Amino acid sequence: MGYFIDLVIIGLSIGMVYALVALGLSLIYSGLDIVHFAHGEIYMIGAFIGLMLFRHLGIGYVPTLLLAVVLTGIVGVLIERVFYRRLTSTGGGYTVAGMGMIIAGFGMSIVLQNVAYLIWGPKALPFPVPYGRPVEIGNLALPMSYVWIVATALILMFVLNLLLKKTMIGLAIRAVAHNKDIAYLSGVNVPLMISLIFGIGCALGAAAGVLIGPINYVQVLMGLSVLIKAFAAAVVGGFGSLPGAVLGGVLVGVIESLGAGYVSGTYKDTYAFVLLIFVLMVKPSGILGVEAKVKA
Amino acid sequence: MLEIKDVVGGYGSVQVLNGASLKVARGQIVALLGGNGTGKSTLLKAVSGLIKPWSGSITFDGERIDGLRPDLIVRRGLVQVTQGKEVFPGMTVEENLKLGAFVVRDRAKASRALDRVYTYFPILKERRQQLSGTLSGGQLQMVCIGRGLMSSPKMIMLDEPSSALAPQVVLDIFRTIHRITQDGMTVLMVEQNVRMALLLAEYGYVIMDGVIHIEGPADQLIHDDNVRLSYLGGTVANREASLGTGA
Repeated sequence: MGYFIDLVIIGLSIGMVYALVALGLSLIYSGLDIVHFAHGEIYMIGAFIGLMLFRHLGIGYVPTLLLAVVLTGIVGVLIERVFYRRLTSTGGGYTVAGMGMIIAGFGMSIVLQNVAYLIWGPKALPFPVPYGRPVEIGNLALPMSYVWIVATALILMFVLNLLLKKTMIGLAIRAVAHNKDIAYLSGVNVPLMISLIFGIGCALGAAAGVLIGPINYVQVLMGLSVLIKAFAAAVVGGFGSLPGAVLGGVLVGVIESLGAGYVSGTYKDTYAFVLLIFVLMVKPSGILGVEAKVKA
Repeated sequence: MLEIKDVVGGYGSVQVLNGASLKVARGQIVALLGGNGTGKSTLLKAVSGLIKPWSGSITFDGERIDGLRPDLIVRRGLVQVTQGKEVFPGMTVEENLKLGAFVVRDRAKASRALDRVYTYFPILKERRQQLSGTLSGGQLQMVCIGRGLMSSPKMIMLDEPSSALAPQVVLDIFRTIHRITQDGMTVLMVEQNVRMALLLAEYGYVIMDGVIHIEGPADQLIHDDNVRLSYLGGTVANREASLGTGA
């Protein structure tokens, strides 16, 4: 029983990391109508930025996390403004997605990998955070790193929910996600909101990267597998649905962890996809997904 | 207040507007009439900034606004209510309305605007916590018009407020539009329900193939043989039908 609970806790915390990346993907998808294929690299860049801040500024883990999140968000806004916007505005609109955007995403992913390689080199770098002693609950020793991940992710999700549900900015973001023309005619600065949505999506990815850093190492190629898992999580939960992204992330994490513990660790990466295929067979729109919404 | 001069424009490479010109004076209610695909909605979109005119000029309140972003035009006090009763279905009625006051920084002003919208449409106050996706067609149209009024604009452009509504609801909507104009709002209204629009409006324009074809005071247009033949139907029976169904 203890072993099972251990696996669930590990799966839960990894799942929270997937959930944060999936939340970013879903948010960007609902706001910009694009699947952002460079999001794994945003997560990697976030982790590196966090590591550098932690090492060189000598600040604590929490300020590191916050600063890395903000800085990566700004990097995201720059990427959207400088590169993606040129593509989305070619038709005179703001949501011309299609093939061009997908290829641009892959291109951005390669560029960011190489930029990171030039700056930080190919080696996996440790991210040593002194977490202190594990928390003991009964006869369970819970490593603090896992507690941190779950707590931080929950706080971030809570703040995001508050932002979207309780503020005018959140109202505008939801409006832009649903219908850009009507948002525009209601007086919302749509391009600015799109940048903001993209920035928030990237900030969530960075949070995931900084959270996973102390458990795994930080390295240039860390983005790909997380992107694929997060993508699976987002689809399992229902692409574009934010609660779905969280649910999907947690499911993918827990199933992966249980599979690795009970079946075989060699096939760790396949369990997420078994889940994905199963969900697609039973409910193609995802667990919390709704029918394809009408886009502007 | 609004002056559109020789506006040419369209979508992609398809030219829809071929040099349309019209004027709306302050406090006036003007009807823009025409059949399907004549450029009525396109002209409104060009004014509200959703599409950029290729040439010509649009002046609002003494300032050129052609080519400006739509939200900046809303800030200047000119709001378009689109056709099709488009609301944000996942938001409550009140959230939809509040979004219309996005450009209003002054909270007290926004809440006064909300109260005013609720006096125009009391049913929306009753339903304010309801998800707007669950409203009836007439109520959706009320949310759309209400949202347009939330920024306390100087002028509002309504794109077919009567389309796809039951006759009784159409009357209600037109009565409220009348009330809104009596409170001093300037209105440019696109309509296919020509008779109703001309009863409400002071002045009318008929657009055809992207240019203004006929214009004149509403009470003259309603008796104009061309307008009558083209849009009101030639027979009494058709006229009654057009009044009834809003077609």
